[in-house]
Amino acid sequence: MFKFLKVLARNILQGPATEAFPLQPAPTPERFRGRITINPDLCVGCGICKHVCSGDAIRIIPNEEKTGYHYTVWYNSCCLCGSCRYYCPTKAISMTNNWHNSHKQEDKFKMAEHHFIPYLKCDGCGAPIRLLPPHLATRIYAHSPVDIEKIIRLCPSCRQIATAERQGELNESNPE
Amino acid sequence: METKPQETKSFSLPLGPIHVALEEPMYFKLELEGERVKHVDITSGHVHRGMELLATKRNFFQNVVLTERVCSLCSNSHPLTYCLAVENLAGIKVSPKAQALRVLAEEIKRTASHLFNVAILAHIIGYKSLFMHVMEVREIMQDVKETVYGNRMDLAANCIGGVKYSVNLELIEFIEKSLARTEKHIKEIVDIYAGDKMILTRTKNVGRISAEDVAKYGLVGPVARGSNVQIDTRKDAPYLIYGQLDFDMITETGCDVHSRAMVRLRETLESIKIIKQILRNIPEGELSTLLPHIPAGEAMARSEAPRGELFYYVRTDGTDMPLRLKWRVPSYMNWDALEVMMKDCEVADVSLIVNSIDPCVSCTER
Repeated sequence: MFKFLKVLARNILQGPATEAFPLQPAPTPERFRGRITINPDLCVGCGICKHVCSGDAIRIIPNEEKTGYHYTVWYNSCCLCGSCRYYCPTKAISMTNNWHNSHKQEDKFKMAEHHFIPYLKCDGCGAPIRLLPPHLATRIYAHSPVDIEKIIRLCPSCRQIATAERQGELNESNPE
Repeated sequence: METKPQETKSFSLPLGPIHVALEEPMYFKLELEGERVKHVDITSGHVHRGMELLATKRNFFQNVVLTERVCSLCSNSHPLTYCLAVENLAGIKVSPKAQALRVLAEEIKRTASHLFNVAILAHIIGYKSLFMHVMEVREIMQDVKETVYGNRMDLAANCIGGVKYSVNLELIEFIEKSLARTEKHIKEIVDIYAGDKMILTRTKNVGRISAEDVAKYGLVGPVARGSNVQIDTRKDAPYLIYGQLDFDMITETGCDVHSRAMVRLRETLESIKIIKQILRNIPEGELSTLLPHIPAGEAMARSEAPRGELFYYVRTDGTDMPLRLKWRVPSYMNWDALEVMMKDCEVADVSLIVNSIDPCVSCTER
């Protein structure tokens, strides 16, 4: 009993252990997994985030004219597991440390992040594509003497043709 | 004056299903003779969510998250054991670094889970100030989880083939500082639980179960170790890097509620010892490996969750969804033994005995 009285006295001297939120800010760690956010410039629409999302919170739908796609993530279905962030190949998804998710019932469908992500036209054939993110392209073509600016604006099949043509030119200049 | 022997009346008393010990539903029908419990009938199934069926409707990635939500207190053991089972099936080799980080997450969770259980013990016997103190100490570990993993309960540390997180020097320093604080507090708490008269009178010789009954009922985890039965999956069938770590299996000989609490408390100190060893020496390497195709077949894996041995079985047909995912949790065996522990106990001790097996109802009923 006396051992605990010592602890008790120490705890009283220390004062409250709780944070006075909302009167004072509650410190949130940097790594806290809060609301997710998408960088539409990096998204290539591969859909792996939708595939791994266990809450079915992500929706990717092309628009009627097929000029782009709507990317929507609904916070109320998101279980903050961070799988989409982990598996996103272009690192377009990140998590903020914002945990302020309480809202009124009538606002529940506004609790979403939405982006319209337009397609580009392939410089070669005009097919709708998403730009290969430059930071990924520099890694993919790190040891290849290609014009990254040009190649990221091509669709996969035009890229293949371009590679074949470049290889052909190389072979012609060095016949052996 | 002559005193007449009082007639003891037998009657049945319903207890639960709401908040018997922990905030989880469990329904007891007690047959009493006076104050003494003569027979216990346990009804369960209040939080059945059909998770084993849900698992067969989701792909392997989604199931990591689903299994993490089976239960909050062992929320790292479930995805870990699930990942181990899938890795066994597909023959995936996990790098030493990922293995070390997996053990780190496991032991941080174990410390917090054990502290929570012994805090609830103090709460049940009405020792509220001690309850608050132990919960405050546990809060240090909660802060570690929040800072390192980003959530107080669901760590999201595991993925098939490795781990999703890493620790940098700054975080290692933070964990070490927090561990030093926790260790100091836990040593003090061990002393209090071992010697405090109020705790001893309520918990000594209450809810006894002999080593023979432990074997008969197949009990696992701290419940078995509290009856001096040497059983710990980390020692018996070392998985991850547990074989290379230096830690002791904690056993007590009292066979009662008090022994089980002491096992848990002393185990937190062993967990801290393990965490320290890992932080000192995190191997270099990849965090996760590239995933191969997961073939058709079946596999199992087991691990030591805070409550005892956790077992996962997975069967696949070559698609990205399992045909069957089955898990057996430690509380399933442990709560069956309640009828032995509660035999002839007083009504007031029922919730104390229930808490002493650290029942995880949401795990068991999933």
